[in-house]
Amino acid sequence: MTSPEIRPTDPGLWVLHALRCAGASSLGRVRAFTGLDGPDAESELIDLGAAGLVTRTPGAMPFWALTDAGRAADAERVTAELDAADARRAVHAAFARFLVLNPELLDLCTAWQLRRVDGVMTANDHGDPAYDSRVLRRFADLDRRAVPVLAQLAAALPRFGRYRHRLAEALARAAAGEPAYVTDSTVSYHTVWAELHEDLLATLGLRR
Amino acid sequence: MRWIRTLRADTEGTAETLGGKALGLVLLHRLGLPVPAAFVLTTAACRAFPRGLGGELTEAVSWLERETGRTFGGPGRPLAVSVRSGAAVSMPGMMSTVLGLGLTTDATACLADETGDRRFALDARRRFLSSFARAVLDTDATGAVEDLVRQRCGRPIPDDAARQLAWAVEAVLASWDAPRARTYRAVHDLPDGPGTAVIVQAMVYGNRDERSGSGVAFSRDPTTGEPGPYGDVVFGRQGEDVVSGRSATRPLRELAAREPAVWARLLDALRRIEGHYRDACHVEFTFQSGELWLLQVRPDRFTGGAAVRLAVELADERVIDRREAVLRISPRQLLHVGTPRLASPRDADLFARGVGACPGVAVGRVATTAELAVRMAAEAPVVLVRPETSPHDMHGLAAATGIVTARGGPASHAAIVARALGKPAVVGVAGLAVDAGSGTVTAGGRTLADGALVTLDGTTGDVALGTPRVTAGETDAHLHQLLAWADDIAEDHSERAAPQRLEAAHAALRRP
Repeated sequence: MTSPEIRPTDPGLWVLHALRCAGASSLGRVRAFTGLDGPDAESELIDLGAAGLVTRTPGAMPFWALTDAGRAADAERVTAELDAADARRAVHAAFARFLVLNPELLDLCTAWQLRRVDGVMTANDHGDPAYDSRVLRRFADLDRRAVPVLAQLAAALPRFGRYRHRLAEALARAAAGEPAYVTDSTVSYHTVWAELHEDLLATLGLRR
Repeated sequence: MRWIRTLRADTEGTAETLGGKALGLVLLHRLGLPVPAAFVLTTAACRAFPRGLGGELTEAVSWLERETGRTFGGPGRPLAVSVRSGAAVSMPGMMSTVLGLGLTTDATACLADETGDRRFALDARRRFLSSFARAVLDTDATGAVEDLVRQRCGRPIPDDAARQLAWAVEAVLASWDAPRARTYRAVHDLPDGPGTAVIVQAMVYGNRDERSGSGVAFSRDPTTGEPGPYGDVVFGRQGEDVVSGRSATRPLRELAAREPAVWARLLDALRRIEGHYRDACHVEFTFQSGELWLLQVRPDRFTGGAAVRLAVELADERVIDRREAVLRISPRQLLHVGTPRLASPRDADLFARGVGACPGVAVGRVATTAELAVRMAAEAPVVLVRPETSPHDMHGLAAATGIVTARGGPASHAAIVARALGKPAVVGVAGLAVDAGSGTVTAGGRTLADGALVTLDGTTGDVALGTPRVTAGETDAHLHQLLAWADDIAEDHSERAAPQRLEAAHAALRRP
């Protein structure tokens, strides 16, 4: 899953930012977000932990989370990165285009989860392949319209290129008959999209 | 008129030509119920628009002026209208609505003179401007909406009622073709071709004075099926505040004491409408200075235990016969009937209490945003806790095991979605503060963080900490009754599971 071509110059920032956008995460999720190898991601997390920017909660499913200092450090570094690349205007413009697509994406996720049966909205039991493939076709259509927005973002800040890769992967897996890749897993289209939304807000220093 | 129909008891047309909403208004007229004067641009007019309409819009507005004794845009008593879409099949949340259209600067001054209430008139105009901006910009706009429209559209919001109307009609029609609406139809297998109808209706104001208000009234409780009326009301507020769950609603029954005449008319209306549909129904209503107006009507489709109780009681009331009662319940609906409850709420560590909006018990970890709920749900069950919900929370609502909202009543967005999903929900938890920024919820002096484990009972409205003991569904008298009728129909009284008993009766009824 690693994509060397969009490997960031500062893996520490990248890992910190993963926890900012995805929330408390297992090592596996940090890897999926960043595309870093397991040992690389873990060693970055350990360094960040030593610096007091992240903490590890042990347990059956151990997870990593930002501390308040980590959240502040991420905001600072992301802003510096944005200004250094002189990318604020371009990211703002792409964000405006993202916001047009966002409600439609949420509608599609809803349609994947719910459908009207005999006039009553019920959970989609995925027993009707024709319905599911109709919804997936609309996902693909929306994805085509998202491509130029993601290209604009990646041109402004290369790390955004990772989302294109992850969204395409999720869509391909869903189309190949793995339904959890639509809304249900931590690497689903919806999850990646939501992380992108959070990333845009964090990068621009905006509140929802 | 060729493209426009005035809505009256003798208006002819189908859902395809008039749209579902307008057809409901015609029904209300036929039942002799109070409806603000309205006309509808048919779906054919909308397909042809802007060709064809010609002078008909002007002609229809003149009719509306005569019906109401008011003047569109003033002078004198000003006529203001709502402009709403109304397709054959409703597409909730997809289409634009404009309220208070016609409230030009002059008309607003006239409205202030007429009512002697300048604040009310200005509030009505503010609502007009923001709904108009939302419709023409197709985004949620707040603040200086007039500047925003001028900037983005290259022209200002006209200070001329007729031009406002033309633009609003155009915007409502355009919302039919917005990518989001197209996607909605593609997914739900609805055709793009027919277009929508547009309803133009004289405004009534729930925010007119302290003897005004708005609400939603169900003929029966949609959660339990219990005979109603049931619903939410807000006093001194407009209807959009109720549906959005944006303002704290009061139980509908409070209307009985505060406005007994409105209450009596409402009961009578629900009775007549149920008689017509032979089914449960709900209406959206506004009362203005003590006078009731109905704005929309729909038959209800209940699920689970509510559907069973409704079918049995309609048969007991001889509105439908037993065979129809049995046919109205599909075997898969029975899956939702046995409802778990908190075993002993008094022994539980109660965190808060609201209104049960969908029965059942949910145990999960608190998430204060939809995004977080979706992410956390990948690993463990989640209870979504929000101040209120909007369509933008749908993915979180779908991902959550249970739902809690601080505001809104049983007809709020959260409640409706929860019932649709069969997910236990508690709404209208007074005194619950949700701070998504810090990821905390506070009630009764105690604060919980995202991830805290809670248990909610969607029947009683209790929200408890941890995992108190839960009992499985109690035996349900209405279900027993329905299944006994099913056995009689199937002529089979052997021991079988409930869905099989129902299935056998359906098969017997389908046999020629």
